[in-house]
Amino acid sequence: MKNVTHSFVFLAHWPSAGSFGLNTDILATNLINLTVVVGVLIYFGKGVLKDLLDNRKQRILSTIRNSEELRRGTIEQLEKARIRLQKVELEADEYRMNGYSEIEREKANLINATSISLEQLEKSKNETLYFEKQRAMNQVRQRVFQQAVQGALGTLNSCLNTELHFRTIRANISILGAMEWKS
Amino acid sequence: MNIIPCSIKTLKGLYDISGVEVGQHFYWQIGGFQIHAQVLITSWVVITILLGSVIIAVRNPQTIPTDGQNFFEYVLEFIRDLSKTQIGEEYGPWVPFIGTMFLFIFVSNWSGALLPWKIIQLPHGELAAPTNDINTTVALALLTSAAYFYAGLSKKGLSYFEKYIKPTPILLPINILEDFTKPLSLSFRLFGNILADELVVVVLVSLVPLVVPIPVMFLGLFTSGIQALIFATLAAAYIGESMEGHH
Repeated sequence: MKNVTHSFVFLAHWPSAGSFGLNTDILATNLINLTVVVGVLIYFGKGVLKDLLDNRKQRILSTIRNSEELRRGTIEQLEKARIRLQKVELEADEYRMNGYSEIEREKANLINATSISLEQLEKSKNETLYFEKQRAMNQVRQRVFQQAVQGALGTLNSCLNTELHFRTIRANISILGAMEWKS
Repeated sequence: MNIIPCSIKTLKGLYDISGVEVGQHFYWQIGGFQIHAQVLITSWVVITILLGSVIIAVRNPQTIPTDGQNFFEYVLEFIRDLSKTQIGEEYGPWVPFIGTMFLFIFVSNWSGALLPWKIIQLPHGELAAPTNDINTTVALALLTSAAYFYAGLSKKGLSYFEKYIKPTPILLPINILEDFTKPLSLSFRLFGNILADELVVVVLVSLVPLVVPIPVMFLGLFTSGIQALIFATLAAAYIGESMEGHH
């Protein structure tokens, strides 16, 4: 038991190396083994790592190339679509122009037709007016004539005596006789 | 009484041959704390390696990546895949954390296995991988704990604590215990693996200096990588677990 304690005490007071410095003992520093390990690691690890990284690089490259191609295709499609758009716009302009001229012509025709019919209407209106005026004048004339005849009849009835009556009848008979003779 | 000097002699001889040091530290006194300086020095070296290589690789980014950039993009893709499979859809904000964990642990482990630290002699102890020291791994594990608590609380608010009584309230003690066992298991797993790796190599080197340690060193490299991957995966899984199930 004491033996063990003693050895531990001994362990605790084991002399240290002292201060900072370089350990030049090749065996104690395990340099040879470390060199071998590092060498083997580099020799085998390099190939594996190179493969890995090359694969990754190739993948990235192909991804970039793919997206470049996609981009180019998309740009081409865009170009095509733009050209088509221009063409369609031109056609639309043409159609619009055609339509405008058609409309203009139609308008002119319509205006012509309307003005002709308007003129006719004006003429017929004038004629109607003229006839209306004529009729009104006739009516007025008839009325005046009627009144004159009535006046004359009144005058006749009031101042017709027998002798005048006879004279008148005679005169009328002679007129009628002359008319019959003539016919 | 005859046994003691004899055993001391043999032990001394053994130490002289092996030069294995366990539990020896090079202390710095900062404030009231004793700092394991060898861990800090190697951590700085690891940080320098990481930052330097990243700065060199990303200094002149190209559309079609060159070698260094390609490698680092591959690493980033790897980390992103890892966090995506573990965390789920909202993995984006956690990629830097998981990546930092993975890269730091990985480079630490591999530096311990590949760099000839022992060329530089310290007054006490010796330089080794930062993850060789339990303080580093505990710090990393506690950071993971804080991260998954933060993730859960920021996602669900106080209803995050409902998960402690989730299947039945009977499991409450176990669920609370889990919060302590998670960082514990994380830190001890990493620490134990790396320490064991390095110890095995050191012991073998002290016994047979040439050739024989080489397979063990390769095994160490393999386990180191695996441990870094496991730590990062588990950290991501814990974060994902604390964020899932929100409706």
